[in-house]
This record gives sequence, C-alpha cells and structure tokens, in this order.
Amino acid sequence: MTAETIIQSLASGLLMGLLYGLIAVGLALIFGLMDVVNFAHGEFLMIAMYATFFLFAFFAIDPLLSAPLVAAALFVFGAIVYLLIVRFAVRAKANAGMVQIFSTFGLAIVMRGLAQFFFTPDYRSVTNSWLGGKTISIGGIYLPEPQLVGALVSIAAFAGLYFFIHRTDFGRALEATREDAGAVALVGIDKNRVFALGWGLGAALVGLAGAIMAIFFYVYPDVGASFALIAYVTVALGGFGSVFGAFAGGIIVGLVEATTALILPPSLKSVGIYAVYLLVVFVRPRGLFGSM
Amino acid sequence: MDKDFARRRRRELIIAFCLAAIAALVPLFVKDVYVQNVMVLTLMYAALSQSWNILSGYCGQISLGHALYFGLGAYTTAILFTKFGVLPWFGMLAGGVLSALIAMALGYPCFRLRGHYFVIATIVIAEIGLLLIQNWEWAGAALGIDIPVRGDSWLKFQFTRSKLPYFYFALALACVAWFVTWWLEDSKWGYWWRAVKDNPDAAESLGVVVFNSKMGAAAVSAFLVAVGGSFYAQFVSYIDPESVMGFQFSLLMALPAVLGGIGTLWGPVLGAVILIPLTELTRSFIGGSGRGVDLIVYGTLIVLISLALPRGLVSLFARPKFLWRKAAVR
Amino acid sequence: MTITRRNVLLGATAAAALAPIASRAQTSEVVIGVIYPLSGASAQIGVDAQKAFETAADIINKNYDFELPLAKGEGLSGLGGAKVRLVFADHQADPQKGRAEAERLITQDKVCAIVGTYQSAVAVTVSQICERYQIPFISADNSSPSLHRRGLKFYFRAAPHDEMFSTAMFDFFDTMKKKGTKIDTLSLFHEDTIFGTDSGNAQAKLAGERGYKIAADIKYRANSPSLSAEVQQLKAANADVLMPSSYTTDGILLVKTMAELGYKPNAIVAQDAGFSEKALYDAVGDKLEGVISRGSFSLDLAAKRPMVGKINAMFKERSGKDFNDYSSRQFMGLIVMADAINRAKSTDGEKIREALVATDMPGETTIMPWKRVKFDDMGQNNDADPVLLQYIGGKFVTIFPPQAAVAEAVWPMK
Repeated sequence: MTAETIIQSLASGLLMGLLYGLIAVGLALIFGLMDVVNFAHGEFLMIAMYATFFLFAFFAIDPLLSAPLVAAALFVFGAIVYLLIVRFAVRAKANAGMVQIFSTFGLAIVMRGLAQFFFTPDYRSVTNSWLGGKTISIGGIYLPEPQLVGALVSIAAFAGLYFFIHRTDFGRALEATREDAGAVALVGIDKNRVFALGWGLGAALVGLAGAIMAIFFYVYPDVGASFALIAYVTVALGGFGSVFGAFAGGIIVGLVEATTALILPPSLKSVGIYAVYLLVVFVRPRGLFGSM
Repeated sequence: MDKDFARRRRRELIIAFCLAAIAALVPLFVKDVYVQNVMVLTLMYAALSQSWNILSGYCGQISLGHALYFGLGAYTTAILFTKFGVLPWFGMLAGGVLSALIAMALGYPCFRLRGHYFVIATIVIAEIGLLLIQNWEWAGAALGIDIPVRGDSWLKFQFTRSKLPYFYFALALACVAWFVTWWLEDSKWGYWWRAVKDNPDAAESLGVVVFNSKMGAAAVSAFLVAVGGSFYAQFVSYIDPESVMGFQFSLLMALPAVLGGIGTLWGPVLGAVILIPLTELTRSFIGGSGRGVDLIVYGTLIVLISLALPRGLVSLFARPKFLWRKAAVR
Repeated sequence: MTITRRNVLLGATAAAALAPIASRAQTSEVVIGVIYPLSGASAQIGVDAQKAFETAADIINKNYDFELPLAKGEGLSGLGGAKVRLVFADHQADPQKGRAEAERLITQDKVCAIVGTYQSAVAVTVSQICERYQIPFISADNSSPSLHRRGLKFYFRAAPHDEMFSTAMFDFFDTMKKKGTKIDTLSLFHEDTIFGTDSGNAQAKLAGERGYKIAADIKYRANSPSLSAEVQQLKAANADVLMPSSYTTDGILLVKTMAELGYKPNAIVAQDAGFSEKALYDAVGDKLEGVISRGSFSLDLAAKRPMVGKINAMFKERSGKDFNDYSSRQFMGLIVMADAINRAKSTDGEKIREALVATDMPGETTIMPWKRVKFDDMGQNNDADPVLLQYIGGKFVTIFPPQAAVAEAVWPMK
C-alpha cells in the first residue's frame, strides 16, 4: 500500500463524510432537535433526487441551479408531512416513540410505492450536468468536483443551521417548544407552527442534499435505503441535540469507512462504521456531543 | 381487586386455550396449501412478535435488531444439519441457547443506552451479524445453505408437500410464546417492569434487580426468536443471509406487536392475524402489476393504524369483560 | 381469530370457486406461471421481463412467419391449438415468497410449468417446490452454476451459467494473447450476493488454471453508497483487465467513480448484469466506449436471421427497449417451455419433463447465437454458447467467438 493510496483514501473518505453529514443535517434537526423520529428520511432524499432529475430531464435545469427549487419543494413537503402525519404521532396518548417509528416507516413504504407507480422502477441518472464527471487532480490525488461542491454545501448548511438554532428567535422557539410545549403556549408560541416550520426546514436540507447527490448518484425508488441507516448512525454518533455533533459524526463515518476498506475486505467496510458507533456509545451513552 | 385480577388471568388462559383448539382444527377444513402457507406464516410471526414483545413491549427496550437471533437460529440449525448431520431438533435447541447467550452478552453494554441510542445500537449489531455471515465462506456466504429434502420425516422435520406439521409446530411455538408472556406478566419481573415504566425513579432504587431481569427478558426473547428462525429454515429449506438476517425481519417481527398493541398479551397475536394475511394477499393479488400498488396499500394501513390506535388494535377490545363475552358467544 | 377464519374461508371459497373454471379451461388454454420481482429494489427487471414473456406468448398464440418453434399457426398445435396464458407472480427477491408464490401458482392457478426468476436465491426455492409438485421449471435467466447441480429432475436451464460465461472470457483472453496482446494480470470486482460471489469464484478458479495473475480480488457490498475506496484499490492494482460482476446500480456508480478518481483500465470485460442494461449506458455510456461484456444475445444476429430484428421490434414496441441479455433469455425460456408442452401434447408435469429431456432445438430456430438447445442429465444446456460483445459507437457488436463475431475486438479500450 503506497502513501498515495492512503492519502487518496482519506481524501475520498473526508469528502464522503461531509456528504454523509449533508444527508444527515436535516435529520439532525428533525431527529435530534425536535426529538421526533423520521424513518422516512431516506425516502425524503429519494424524492429530492427525483425532483432534481426531472427538473434536469424536462427543463434542462442544472442540479446546481435547481437545488434551491428542490429545497423549497421539500420544505413544503416536509411541512405537509408534519401536519398530516407527524403532528398526530407526536400527540399519541400512548407509546409515542413507537407510533412515530411506525407511522413514518409506513410513510416510507407508501413513498416507495408511489415512486414506483409514477416514476417506474427504472434507474435514472442526471447526465452531462455542469459538474458531472469533472475532477481536480492535485499531485496525483483526485478530488471529484461534485463531491467538493457537496462538501462545501455541507459545511455551509451546518454553519447555517448552527447560526439558526443559536442566534435566531425561531431557533430558540424551536428548542423551547421541544423542552416544554405547554410553557411556550403561554407566551403565544404555537407548537404546531414551530414544528411544522422545523420539519419543513429539515426536509429542505434533505432537498439540498438530494440535488447534490443526483449529480453523481443514480436514482430509483429504493435509493434511500442505502443512505438512511448511515444518516441515523451519523446523527446518533455525534449525539442528539447537537448540530456540531452531526457534522463531526459525518466526517468520522466517512473516514472510518475509508480506513476500514483499506484494512478489511471492502464488503465489510460498514462494519467499521457500526463498530465505532457501538464503541462510542458504550463509553459515552449520549454520543460524542449529545445533550439528550 | 386481587381476586378480580386472578380471575381475569384465568379467563385469559381459558380463552387462549379455546383459540388454540379452534386454530388446531382449521386445517381440517382448509385444504388449500396457499392458504395453509399463509396460516403457517401468520402463526410464526405471532410467535416471533410475542417473543419480541417480551423485551421491547414489557421491558421497554425497543429492539429493531431481532433478525440477528432469527438468523442465528436458522443458521445454527442448517449448519449443524448439513455439515454434521445433527437433527434439526437439537439444532433448534443449540441455536436458541446460543442466541440467548449472545443476547445477554450484548444486553450487558446495551441496556445502559436510552431511547434512540439503544434502537440504533440494535440495528447496527444485527447489520454487523448480517455482514459477517455474508462474508463467511464456510457458512455458505451469499450462496446460503440449501437443506436437502428427501421425503417426509418427523425426525428430520421436513415434509415435501404437507403443510400440516409446520402448521402445528408454529401453533405450538405461538402458544409457548404466549404462555411465557402470560406467566411473566404476573411474575416478579413483570411487576418490576411495570413499576419502572410507571415511575422512572423506581428504576433507580430497583437498579440491579431490574437490570438482571432485563437480561433475563433478552435471553428468553432471543431464545424463542431463534427457535422461530430454526423453524423457518426447515420450513423454507433454504436460507441465505439477506432472507433470514435482513433488517426487514426485525421490522416484520415488531410490526404485529405494534399494530396489535405493544406490551399487551394479545397484541402480537391480533396484529399478526391481520397483518400477515394482508401482506401476503396484497402481494399475491395486486403485486403482480409491477407498479408498487401493494406497497401503497400496505404502507397506508400501517400509517393509519399506528396513528389512529396508538395502543394498538387490542384497545378496541379494551375491557376484559367485553372480550370475555365475545369469546363466550363464539 | 375471527379474522383469520374469515380470511381462510374466503380464500378457500375463492379457490374452490376458481378450481372448476381452471380445469374446464384446460382444453383451450395452457397456463404457465412466471415468477419475477415486480416490486422492490429489482422491480425494473421484473417489469421488463413481463414484456418479454408477453411478446413470446403473443408469438406463440398468433400466426407469425418466423423460423421459431410455435410461431407459425395459432396456439399449441399439439394441444388442439390451445392458447398459452401467463400468470405473473411477484417474489420481491425473497426466497420464501418465491416458494409461496410457486405453490400458489401450482395449486390455485393450476399452472403446468413455471419460468423464473432473475435472483438465483429465489430460483433455489422455486425449483424445490416445482420438484415436489413435479412441475417443470425453466431457469430463464439465473446464471448461478450451483443451481443445476442439486440433483433436481424438474430443473432445466436453456441459457449458459456463469462458469460457461467466464470460460468464454478466458478463451477470449487466450486468443488475444496468442495474437500478442499483453494480458497477464486481472482485477476481479464483484458484489457480495450470490451472483457476484459465484462469478468471482469461477473467475478466480479459471485464472489459476490458465495462469493469469489476480492483481486484486475485490468483493464489495451491493448497493453501497460509495465505491471510492474500492476503485482506489483497483487503480492501485492497475491490472491489464478489469472484470466487474455488478448489477446496474453498482455498475453506474463504479464507472462514475472510476472517472472521478482518474482510473482508466486498459480493458473492461464485464460479467453482464448491469453492463447489459440500457439504464447503465444511458447514465455513463460515454465513459464506456470499448467495454466488453459477456452475453447470450446479440442484435447483430438480425443480419443473419431477420426474425431476430422483427421480434426485437415487437418487444421494443411493448417495452421501449431493445432486447438485452436478460429479456432475450426470458423470451427463449418461455419458447423452450411451450415447445416442450406442445410436443408432450399434455399438461401433465411428467410428460412435459420427458418432452424437455427430449428437446433438440437447432440454434437457427432461436433468437440466440446458441448451437442448439439440448439438456444434459442435470437439465443444463451445454450448447448455449455465450458471446462476448463490445460496446462501440453506442451499440454492441459481437467480437467472440470467431464464428459469431462480426468485428475484431478493439484493444485497449478508449
């Protein structure tokens, strides 16, 4: 194994880690900050990728340009999902955790079914986008442009979310609502409005991730399954309730994955990620930076 | 109050006995093998879900990784039989004991985790198990294990066409799982679990004993699920990693209990009786279109039931007297 | 409990109600079961397969002037012109569901034969059930070599299996080496399900026997979110030939990742699967100029056998796609089965089995480049010669074996 192989693996791992972070950032908001489970996270990503693909195929809008449109569409979608389904799940009188898991899991199945119904199970890809297939080589180390842009978007998304949570009134309202919905009602904050906006925002971030992913990944109804578990592990590894945790979690997951593939047969590379997660939570039961 | 409680428990036992007896008679009237197949699966999932419910429902330790134990049971039986000629009955026992031990070994560090951290830990542990089997050449890796079927034999527990032996085994397993749950409800452990659920502070004072009882629950739950896995290996007579250890099994085990009523005695049975025929029939009769309509129907029902009845379908029969009267009419 | 009983009764009544119709209908139609993944991750294959089977049934049931068995005249002449009716079932890539569906088709729909299944794991259980009910099963497109070696009497496969495919690849390498091309080292890249594992094992064995050095043998997890670590290792190994065994999704990601990491192998010789799927070439075709894939079908054949082009056009009208390696094998699976039923002059399983054993269909009367269809005592057709195809200028041309080739191989690829 040459030094070049190792550096290339770590560089790819870092980029992939930032992308995992980007996919997980919306989940960190929904799952981590509102303490609501979304087992349809992968399917949110799937429809974001489809939206990007169709905007490209029918209107020739490049994924980089359509990213804000997709994010906006997902915002609306997320808010609707909250109002139609999650709102009732959160209110459940018994077994609230279970109801959340299974109502969103049911939603995931419906979304896959609908995608297969309307979009057919064909595999689709965005071809010839501005960044697609372009790559930068620095001293023999290759850095694909779509992933580089994805990494930058990821950093920006995390910074934005951090600012939003800690520096805006809405962010503070969100945290307060999660902690004590009754008390915030007294000061005139409507829990449903706050959470619906929170869900919309979480989904919008997934939309952003989907638009970037569509540049270099294929799209089909079950595509979300490949990413969902990694996203959950990323958020939990960093710790629920911590935006920075999810960011660090993504980078760790990416690097661990790349290193494991160097040591073990690549078909076992996820084992490294899972083992690191277990080690971390056995030592720190709330993840690396978690507060809940 | 205590007298009432004792009477109710006796009634439950009688109802269960009657239902089991009725179920045992059904195959005498239903000869269609496809329908019998659906019934076998229904009973198997009722048993699995009932076992899952012991740890996840009663103890409140939500596991979405029980496929690990299911797969361990299936693989132990199949490997012992095909490589060492050990009869599946012993394989079943070995798989159960192995799973129970592993469940305790994993429970020790995992029970310290709360909420989502625990759920995700169970998922990734099962995934690790899946990946290891998938890469283990000696155990067949992805090729799986094909269990040769040579005629009907109770000793080898394999039958070419008849579904009846499988049906009665699955029924027995469901009864055992139900009975264990029934017995646990009124045991020392059952009281502790209830106390902890109602009052988290009580958990502190009961600390060690509750921890030990959870280890016990994990072992019992894993043992029964592994026996279910052994059964599945014999029933299908072919296993491969994805089809016995995949994540979908963990979900399929949990779903009947969740829809029927988690942490209740009758929830898993009721859930399985509705869910499994529904899954099979939607796939068989509308899945052939290739357009995912079966998924839409199935998913919508899960969303609606879990939202409308958070306590599960058993909450429709909330009062025990009502249930009793209904059963008596029958 | 009420509900099961009701369901059970409903099911039983429905089955009882259907039974007389089925038996009455037997004289005028022959029911054949087709089991494929119609929902879930590989639904696309199943949906395309439906179109291939419908095309075959159409040719059997209506009068066409093709030199293909059963094309001329309507229906099965051996059974008084009975029409073939297909019943589709969805196995969702689950072996348990596959066997349940096979059993349902046999007992409720009274099918007299079954064709399937795409996933090899499902073929294992479906063929077991067929054996138990003495119903012939044709593995239309399963390529796992272990399938026909299980001592089953009712199992048949008209198409080649992975060892035959891999042997063709190594024959090709030997030929190229004799011509002076440098081929010493190989990189194997295969996924971790049955298909990839079997293919990887066969290739590793052949490489050992024929003296090729394996520079990298990489088994990866199917549907991985990223393949950069894997591609990095392939790049470091830099073998003369890269041999991927990947389904469509991983194939697309592999090619994209190779471009992103600046890895251009001298040659890619693929074990079909993803590399014969239109979706892959739609996505990354521009990077695949000169890729070689094994196959059991080639549209080039249309030049020699005009019916191949016409049948392809019929399929394209239904599916919007050209025949590929899978759909062509599926098509032939039904033709071979229907031909046997026709000769058996019966829908009895044992009689059809005997007819299948006696099958001797000349290659010219198929749409494949095969010598003929004739089954050995394990039910495998060893005369199904695979071909190697090269992707040049947006379409596939046959480059090997010489008797089927229409062009010389371009080596190294662009």
